[in-house]
Amino acid sequence: MTTEELKNLNADKVVDARGTACPGPLLAAKKAIGEMSTGEVMQILSSDEGTKRDIPKWAQKKGHEYLGTVEESGYFIIYMKKG
Amino acid sequence: MTMALCTGSFDKLIVAGIILSGAVAEDMDVEIYVLLYGAYAFKKENGENIDTVSEYPELKEKLKTSLKEMKIPTWVEFLSTAKELGNVKIYICGTAGKIWGGEKVSDFIDLADDICGIGEYVDSAQNADVHMLI
Repeated sequence: MTTEELKNLNADKVVDARGTACPGPLLAAKKAIGEMSTGEVMQILSSDEGTKRDIPKWAQKKGHEYLGTVEESGYFIIYMKKG
Repeated sequence: MTMALCTGSFDKLIVAGIILSGAVAEDMDVEIYVLLYGAYAFKKENGENIDTVSEYPELKEKLKTSLKEMKIPTWVEFLSTAKELGNVKIYICGTAGKIWGGEKVSDFIDLADDICGIGEYVDSAQNADVHMLI
């Protein structure tokens, strides 16, 4: 998906994990995904560089769909859809 | 995953907590066997109070400051969160416990599930896909 398409997505869940280091964002995503239904979209806000690789890989392994990452000033937003 | 936790140093216990968090995120079942100095750290009066590092003692204060600034949880918090989110069992080696004056599970921090013998650990390690010694 393009950055524009990602930005236009309506997230069903927003997880703000900015300011936490690995594995904080991953654990926050894991906690939140349990409260979501299949097909719903989650945004994870993080400022931890390692998370950029970690969460997409985790999402793929757990059967969710990684949609993309958008860079913002000082943090980034990962988009994923629950599988 | 099976983890043998021999260390009683807070730096290595944090490493264990971080790896454990990753395993729980992957939905792995985890069994932790707490051996020797690990059992000392798990004693009720110790836990969060453990202040020993395994390497570079001159860097201890720097490490503690950075951990606090980065809002990294304590090792007890890591294990506690992992138990909330996943299937994590923690067993204290009976012999190690006795060395430090702990014979019952109630002598250890609440995260401990039971006291065990070494046979259970070996069996768990034999059957685990991932086995770690920290």
